[in-house]
Amino acid sequence: MLLYGSIRSAPIGEPGAHFTIANYVKAYADKEFYLLLLNSVYYALGTCTLTFLIGTFLAWVSERTNTPCKKLFMVMSLIPFIIPGILSTISWILLLSPKIGLINIVVKEALGLDAAPFNVYSMWGMIWAESIHLYPLVFLLMSAAFRNMDTSLEEAALTSGSSTFQTFRTVTLPLMRPAMVSVLLINFIRGIEAFEVPALIGVPAKISVFTTKIFLAIHQFPSDFGLAGAYAVTLLVISTVGVLIYGRITRKEERYATVTGKGYRPRVVDLGPWKWLTFGISSLIFMLAVILPIFVLLWSSFIPYYGVPSWELAGKMTWGNYHYILNYPLAATAFKNSFYLSVGTATLVMLLTSVIAWITVKTKLPGRAFLDTMCFIPIAMPGIVLGVSLIWVYLTIPIPIYGTIWVLLLAYMTKYIPYGIRAASASMIQINKELEEASFTAGGTWFQTFWKIILPLLMPGFTAGWIYISIIALRELSTSILLYSYNSTVLSIMAFDLWEGGQYTYVCALGVLMVLLLVTMAGIARKLGAKIGIAE
Amino acid sequence: MAETRDMVQIEALEKYFGEDKERVHVLKGVSLNIPEGSLYTFLGPSGCGKTTTLRCVAGLERPDGGRISIGGQTVFASGERVYVPTNKRPIGMVFQSYAIWPHMTVAENVAYPLTIQRKSKDEIKKRVGEVLKVVGLDGLEDRPAPKLSGGQQQRVAFARALINEPKVMLLDEPLSNLDAKLRVQMRSEIKALQRRTNITTIFVTHDQAEALAISDQIAVMHGGVLIEVGAPHQLYTRPKRRFTATFLGLTNLLNGKVLEVSGDSQPGKMQTKKGVLSFIPAPGLKKDQAAVISIRPENIPLHKTQPQGLENVVDGIITEAIFMGDSYQCKVAVADDIVAVHTHPFNAVNVGDKVYLHLDPASCNGLPADDKEGVDESMLGD
Repeated sequence: MLLYGSIRSAPIGEPGAHFTIANYVKAYADKEFYLLLLNSVYYALGTCTLTFLIGTFLAWVSERTNTPCKKLFMVMSLIPFIIPGILSTISWILLLSPKIGLINIVVKEALGLDAAPFNVYSMWGMIWAESIHLYPLVFLLMSAAFRNMDTSLEEAALTSGSSTFQTFRTVTLPLMRPAMVSVLLINFIRGIEAFEVPALIGVPAKISVFTTKIFLAIHQFPSDFGLAGAYAVTLLVISTVGVLIYGRITRKEERYATVTGKGYRPRVVDLGPWKWLTFGISSLIFMLAVILPIFVLLWSSFIPYYGVPSWELAGKMTWGNYHYILNYPLAATAFKNSFYLSVGTATLVMLLTSVIAWITVKTKLPGRAFLDTMCFIPIAMPGIVLGVSLIWVYLTIPIPIYGTIWVLLLAYMTKYIPYGIRAASASMIQINKELEEASFTAGGTWFQTFWKIILPLLMPGFTAGWIYISIIALRELSTSILLYSYNSTVLSIMAFDLWEGGQYTYVCALGVLMVLLLVTMAGIARKLGAKIGIAE
Repeated sequence: MAETRDMVQIEALEKYFGEDKERVHVLKGVSLNIPEGSLYTFLGPSGCGKTTTLRCVAGLERPDGGRISIGGQTVFASGERVYVPTNKRPIGMVFQSYAIWPHMTVAENVAYPLTIQRKSKDEIKKRVGEVLKVVGLDGLEDRPAPKLSGGQQQRVAFARALINEPKVMLLDEPLSNLDAKLRVQMRSEIKALQRRTNITTIFVTHDQAEALAISDQIAVMHGGVLIEVGAPHQLYTRPKRRFTATFLGLTNLLNGKVLEVSGDSQPGKMQTKKGVLSFIPAPGLKKDQAAVISIRPENIPLHKTQPQGLENVVDGIITEAIFMGDSYQCKVAVADDIVAVHTHPFNAVNVGDKVYLHLDPASCNGLPADDKEGVDESMLGD
């Protein structure tokens, strides 16, 4: 944990100490800085609003209405989780680009327009591409909020004589407010630290945000680490403030949550004929969020050169792209690295956080609250900032891991500990303390108890956390892109490079392979988890 | 009487919960000696410190002061900084929730204490078979633990606690999660099992009927203080403390002042609102001390006419008579007090009847009235 602290505090402390305030002067004096700030905030606000609308709508449809096929929507809502951000971005470029965008071409032909109706290379294009990728989180959080709300609270209001609308305003809304605000905040933070969309769409469109600016400052020649640092610290401050507010609100939210018990069923609203409208809107969202992107990726991965789907092109479908990818000089390294990194990160993080969760949940050791906070801090650190700070740490401290796969492992672990700790503590809380005490009274040592009792009981949460972390680690781009070297290339970097090189069809083939790898890993993890843990 | 060795010795145990301002003193110098081979019960209301004391013996709580030894070995001593961790103590424990590990089968649960000692497979199998037979679960070895009924889970918990042949069995309210019928059945089984194995057993409960039925000795606790220790019959019929009298069963308390006491269980005299009454004094009761007479409702014969030649007769009016099948439960207004009387159902009683109550001196226990020492009222309740 000390190592951790040093990694984290170094970049915050260092720019002032080593590089003087010149960088800040340079950064803040520049008119461009304020444009950057404006862009970043605009982008983040747009993203969090749009994701909130989509995610909450779907959550409401699946939890509180009688819309047809809502079970199907529930499952499909989660599919975008498994598509790496870089791929989802690419798919939207392929769909909405003014020149080659599939939707644009179809709509143009259908309506006989001269110009493309949509342009992904715009602020709203960026917001759209980001939102359609981020909304599953909102869906999950809001579903939980809808599900956990004790409907008897609403019923009490109704029986007290208030109308449906009054009830909504005076009871439902205040009860949901903490959840809503925290969801908005977390998406704002994710919007402000997003990298894939701004890099792939924003850079060609000349719309800069903090993350891309930092990336460019380091990737230009010579690298301007000082300026990157100044931007990074600014970005860190914004996201830290967001996370602090988020922390406050969720703590309050948990207090709300403890008031209500469990075992109630949410009241389902009968929408009457309107249910076909909600069905239509939900279907449209799925068409846009799941089917079209996957279709365009699959399609592009099989054709020799990029083009609009047609029978002519369909006849030319080939495995060529896959051949190319698999024979690509770096492919083997990238696959191996990505696989090891994602499995290694997920396993180490979950083991580490299980121990930490045990300490924070089950013991009364002094400093456990501090430990809990420490584990939450990295969530405030945007991936790109983490990259910058690790560059600094390893440029100043002579540990020869810079440029190796180990620095990536360390970066990933730092980044994903907050997710691990959430999964681990949530399940840890559910384990009755007597179960482990029984092991002690039976003569078990702490290690035996942890290994034979706690870990197996933790398995459902452990597996869920493991799957989530391995997925997000496999698609990680924003930190890796600053820390990789030739030998530590990972899949997402490879995809990024191929895209930069204009090899769209190859990227899509690579993307399909990545998704397959992810699905397989998740499947195996579930099987293993069920075997070790409690059979459901 | 043959000297029996004390298996567990607890001296001046102190325990606080919480920190700083919210610090609560939960054990205030509890001292106990638990004889080898006995079934010893900690009885008291919620929050009295009985479970905490048990957990201190198990090593699951670390006391703030005092000393605990098991089988002659000191496992905790605050002065000498001795603290033997739970897993090194010669104990077996049954938890309130049974704490059966849901990811293991019955056999795996029971075998656990031996598995972690890396005993041979054959030995484990043999011992598991034996111990499951003892608790009446033979044949269920491979059943997954979550597929057991409450009573079966309880037996698994017992088997697991027994398999290591502990010196002390610790039972933390093991019957509280069972339904009433099963509870009575398991109660006798626990007692029979304890007799058979002769393992010193500490049983924690808040249920006085359970404690009376099962125990060799009961330690009554209240507010972190040990009130009184005794055999069930003695505690019920001759309590020495007011709390014991009221906590174990129903009783009537009549306030008064000691007029005459000679010691050595000879009847004394007390001035009450109903006149001077004879009673059997608790040890240490002194002349002029404020005291109470405790007499149980079932020990009060009820007469329609004034009985002749009897001591301690008071008269009153029946204000309530509830027929319970095996008895009438009456409330009798005596002067400005209400006395509860349970009488035989053949004894037809009507509200408004004038009756004479015989408070037989042999049934009247004179106890110190001011029995509040060390009892923090705020600790009552959960």
